[in-house]
Amino acid sequence: MSRRSLGLRIFGAVVFAVIVTLFAALIYAAFQNDGKPLDTFVPGGPSSKEIQNLVIPVFAIAGVVFVGVMGAVLLITWKFRTKATDDPEEFPEQVHGRTGLEIGWTILPALILAGVAVGTVATIINLNKKEDKAIEVQVAGQQWWWQYKYDINGDGNFDGPEDITTATEMVVPAGRAIQVTTTSNDVIHSFWIPGLNGKKDAVPGLRSPLKLQADTPGVYRGQCTEYCGLSHANMRMLVRAVSASDYEAWVANQLKDHAADPTDAKALSGKTTWKALCAQCHVIKGVNDEKMKTAKVPLTSGVAPDLTHLMTRGTFAGSILNLYDPVDPNDPSVTLPASDIAAAGYPGAALTGGNVDVSRVNRVSLEAWLRNPAAIKPNYAQGGRGMPNLGLTEAQIDELVAYLETLN
Amino acid sequence: MAIIEALPTDQLALPGAVTSDYKPAGVFTRPKAGGTGWKSWLTTVDHKKIGIMYGATALVFLLIGGFEAILIRVQLWSPRGTLLSANAYNQVFTMHGTTMVFLVVMPIGAAFANYLMPLQIGARDVAYPRINAYSYWMYLFGGIFLNTSWLLGGGADGGWFNYAPNNGILYSPSHGIDFWNLGLIITGIASLAGAVNLIVTVLNMRAPGMTLMRMPIFTWMTLVTQFLLLFAIPVLTVAQVLLMMDRTFHANFFNVAKGANPLLWEHLFWIFGHPEVYLMILPAFGLVSDILPTFARKPIFGYPFIVFSGVAIGFMGWGVWAHHMFVSGIGPISVTAFSLTTMFIAVPTGVKILNWTATMWGGKLRFTSPMLFSIGLVTMFTIGGLSGVTHSVAPADTQQTDTYYIVAHFHYVLFGGAFFGFIGGFYYYWPKVFGYMLNEKLGKTNFWLMLLGFNLTFAPMHILGLQGMSRRIYTYDAGYGFDLWNKVATIGAFTLASSVFLFIFNIFYSRSKAKSLPPVGADPWDARTIEWMIPSPVPEYNYDPIPTITRVDDFWYRKYGETKDGKLVRIAATEDVVQQRSDGKHIHLPSPSYWPIVASFGMPIVAYGLIFNLWLCLVGGIIVVGALFGWVLEPPDDPDAAHEDHDPAAHGSDDGTVVVNAGEVAEAGDVAAEKEPETVG
Repeated sequence: MSRRSLGLRIFGAVVFAVIVTLFAALIYAAFQNDGKPLDTFVPGGPSSKEIQNLVIPVFAIAGVVFVGVMGAVLLITWKFRTKATDDPEEFPEQVHGRTGLEIGWTILPALILAGVAVGTVATIINLNKKEDKAIEVQVAGQQWWWQYKYDINGDGNFDGPEDITTATEMVVPAGRAIQVTTTSNDVIHSFWIPGLNGKKDAVPGLRSPLKLQADTPGVYRGQCTEYCGLSHANMRMLVRAVSASDYEAWVANQLKDHAADPTDAKALSGKTTWKALCAQCHVIKGVNDEKMKTAKVPLTSGVAPDLTHLMTRGTFAGSILNLYDPVDPNDPSVTLPASDIAAAGYPGAALTGGNVDVSRVNRVSLEAWLRNPAAIKPNYAQGGRGMPNLGLTEAQIDELVAYLETLN
Repeated sequence: MAIIEALPTDQLALPGAVTSDYKPAGVFTRPKAGGTGWKSWLTTVDHKKIGIMYGATALVFLLIGGFEAILIRVQLWSPRGTLLSANAYNQVFTMHGTTMVFLVVMPIGAAFANYLMPLQIGARDVAYPRINAYSYWMYLFGGIFLNTSWLLGGGADGGWFNYAPNNGILYSPSHGIDFWNLGLIITGIASLAGAVNLIVTVLNMRAPGMTLMRMPIFTWMTLVTQFLLLFAIPVLTVAQVLLMMDRTFHANFFNVAKGANPLLWEHLFWIFGHPEVYLMILPAFGLVSDILPTFARKPIFGYPFIVFSGVAIGFMGWGVWAHHMFVSGIGPISVTAFSLTTMFIAVPTGVKILNWTATMWGGKLRFTSPMLFSIGLVTMFTIGGLSGVTHSVAPADTQQTDTYYIVAHFHYVLFGGAFFGFIGGFYYYWPKVFGYMLNEKLGKTNFWLMLLGFNLTFAPMHILGLQGMSRRIYTYDAGYGFDLWNKVATIGAFTLASSVFLFIFNIFYSRSKAKSLPPVGADPWDARTIEWMIPSPVPEYNYDPIPTITRVDDFWYRKYGETKDGKLVRIAATEDVVQQRSDGKHIHLPSPSYWPIVASFGMPIVAYGLIFNLWLCLVGGIIVVGALFGWVLEPPDDPDAAHEDHDPAAHGSDDGTVVVNAGEVAEAGDVAAEKEPETVG
C-alpha cells in the first residue's frame, strides 16, 4: 500500500476542519431565529410549545449519540491506524465478537428509545385532546390558496348567514383555542403554521382536526407543505392573532356586506368592471353571493377567494404579495420605501402581514397582479386553476383598484 | 422446435452418453458462446457482464440525475431564481428523485448483487441466466423510456411519490406522469425477475460446505434485499396499474368525486416505499461489512448479529410505512403505533453501526480508498439514522416532514449511506472486475472531495428545514432567512459533482496507466472472501475447481491460521492458495441468447402504445409474445458447441448443487476457453 502523501493529508485535514466548522455553524444557526418567520423553534402557542418540549430532549439525546459515535470512530481511526514501522505480517488480535457486549448494545438503544417513546405517546395524546369552547374553523386548500370558514354561531354549519368565509389570512383571538378542520377542494395540500402547531394535510374528501392557539397577538406565517402542483411554492398563508376585542370587531365587520354602491365615481365604474369580469369566480357579499350559493364547487377550484373584506387583510395572492406597503417594525407610523417590482424582484419581497392602513395601499403589487397574475404566480387558468389574464386596460385596472380599496 | 433457429449440424450430446433428437426448423443461428466485442454484450447471459452493464448504465443515469440536481441547486441559489420555470422545476425535481432511486441506487445494488453474489457463493452463474439478462434489458429500456418523456412533452411533475389525486389526468394533463408510471412498471418487472433469480441462486447454488451462516455478509444482505424487492415491487405495480387505468381508461380508483380516498395511493406507495429504503441501503451495508474487516485485518465483529440485524431490518421494514403519513390525517392511534415501530427499527440499525465500530477497534487499519468510503458510510449514515429517529417522534415529525430537514435526512441515508458504500465497493472490487487498480491517490482525493461536497450540500438542509423551508418549492422569497444556507448547499453540490467527475476520470486514468503496471493478481487487498481466490479479472467460468467451504472468510483461513489465543499466523503463501487461470474447456456454461433483449424491447413499445396509440401495444405485444415463444422453445444449451469431456468428476469438488435447473444452468454448451476475459471498453 502506498503511504498517504503530505498533500492528501493536508487536504483531508482541511476537509475535516471544514466539516466540523460547518456543523458548529449549523448548531449556532439553529438558535438564530431573527428574520426567520417560519422557524420551527419559535413556539407561539401551547401546541407548538408541547412539540418543542418533546423535540429538544430528543435532539439532545441524538446529539449525544452523534458526538459519541463520531468521537469513537475518530478515536479508533487514529489509535489503530497502521504505522509505517508496523510489520505487515503482524496481525491484531482476532476478535470474532463478544456476545455479552452485543446483547448490551442491542438493549441499551432499545431502552433509550423506550424512554423517548413514553414522551412521544404522552405528547400525541395531549396534542389530540379536544378543547371545549374552541372556535371552529374549516380550512380548505385549493390550488393555490386557502379558504377559511368560521362557524360563528356554533351550529356545526360553516355556511350559514351568520358564518364567515374568508381567504388567505386567518384572524384569531389570542389566547383562545381554535379547532381547525382541514380539507381540500382539489388535491392534497398541507396546512402549516410552524409557530402554532405542526402541519396537517388537507385531503379532499377527508376532514382532519388540528388545534391552533396563539398566546400573544401577532402574525404567524405558514406555507403549504404538501406538494400540490405548479404553484405549490406560492401557496402561503398567515394567522393574525388579535386581542379579544379586536376579534369581536373583526367578526362584526366580516358579517357586513358590500351591497351599497361606492360613492366615488371611479370606484363605481370599477364595480361595473368587477361584476362583468371578476364576479364569475370571486364573491363579494351583497353583490354576487346569491349567484355563488348555487355554484357547485368543482374539484378544480374554479372558485376564487372571497373578496368581501379584502382590504382587512395584509396580504393577497396566496399571501405572497403585500396589500400594504411595509412599515418600520419599530415605528408603525414610518412607511418603508415602497416595494418596487423592479428593485425587489417581487412586490411582496418583504411581507408585512397584518398592518392595515388604507393610506399605504400597495398599488404597485395590486396593479401588477391584475395586469398578469400568472407572471407573478404561475397557474393553469385555462383549466380553471388560477386567475386568468383578463387583458385589462390600464384604465380598467385603475378603476378596479379604486373599487377594491373600498372593500374594507 | 425453435421458431427461428437454424438446424444444427448433428445430434445434441448430453452427459451419460444420452442423445436427444433435436430438429428445430429455423433461419437464424443462435449466438455463439464466448464471443467478444459489443455484440457479445447484447446476447450475454454471463452474470458478470450483466453486472458490469448494470453498473455502467447506472453511472450514466447518475450523470443525468446529477445534472437535474445541479439544476435544482442553481435555481435555489438565491431568492426568486430564474433558471427554471415553476413547471420545469417541478419536472426536474420529480425526475431527479425518480432517476436516483430507480435508475441509480437500486441498479448499482443490482450490479453488485449480479457480479458479486455468485462469486461469493462459489457458483458458475445465477440460477436463471437468461432471466438475468432479461432483468437488465428491462431496466435499461424502462430507464430510457422514462427519460424519453423529456423529448415527448415533458417529464413527470408529481414528485417521486406522486400523490393522488395530483397525479390524475385532471391535474397533470401532460404525458409526464404516464411515462413515470409505465417506465417504473417496466423497471419493476426487471427488479421482480431479478429478485426471484437471485433468491433461487443464493438458496440453491452455494458451493459445497457454504451453509447460510458461512455466507459473506454482502450475500446475506443481497438475499434480504431480494426478498424485500419480491414483496415490495408488486405493491407499487398494483398502485401504478390502478393509476394507469385512471389516466388511460378513465377509471375512478383515485377520483375523489366518485368517492375515492386519496390515502389509498399513499398507503400503497409507502408500503412499497419504506421497504424500498432498506433495499437501497442494505447492499451497501453488505459491502461495508466485507470491506471493513479486510482493512482492519480482523474478522467482522459479531457476524451473527450483523446478519440477524439485517434480517430484522428486512422484517421490521414492513411495519413502519405510515411514518411517511403522520400528518395525512390517519388518526392518533395509527400515528402512535407507527411512531413506536419506527423508533424500534433504529435498534437493529444501531447494532450494525456499533458492530462496524467494534470491528475497527483493536485492528490495524489501512486507510485505502475503499476503507475511507466505508468509514464515510459508518459516520454519514449515523447522521441520517439519528435524524431518522427524530422523525419517528411523530409530533416532531409534524414540524419536520415535507421540509428540507427531510431532504437532508434521506440524502444522508441514501447518499451518505448507500452511495458512499457503493463507491467504496467500486474501489474495492475494481481490480477483481477489470484487472487493474483504481489510482489510490486519486481515490483518496475523491473521498475527501466527496465528503466535503456531500456535507456542504446536505448538512445546511437540516437548518433550512428546521427554519421552515418547505421541500419541492421552485422559489422562495428573501426575508425568510433561507438565502445563506441555500448558497452553501449550491456550492456543495458543485463540489459533489466534481468528486463524481474525479471518480470517472480515475477510471480512465487508471486504465491507461494499468498497461505499464504488473497485473494485480487475484488478491490485491489481502482479502477474506472466496471471490479473491480466483484470477482478476474473473474468468468466464468463475471457479475451477469450485472450492469447498469450511467457515466464514474461507479464503482468509486458507492463507492464515488462528491460534487459540487469537493470534494469526500465515500458513500458506497467497500465490499457493489462489486459483490459476485454466482453459476451462471442461466447464459447462449457459449459452447466450437473443431472446432476453428482444422480449424486453417489446415492453417500451407497449408502453408508448398506452400513451399515444393503442395499436402500438399490438406491435409491442407481438414482439414480447413472439420472443417469449422463442425463449421457451430454445434449448438450454447450444448444440453447436460440443464438449470435450462430460465427466462430472471434471467439475472439481462440485457436489451437484450447481446443477439445479437443467433448463438454464451448468449442463450447457462449452465455453470458448481461449477467450480473454472482458474489460470495460
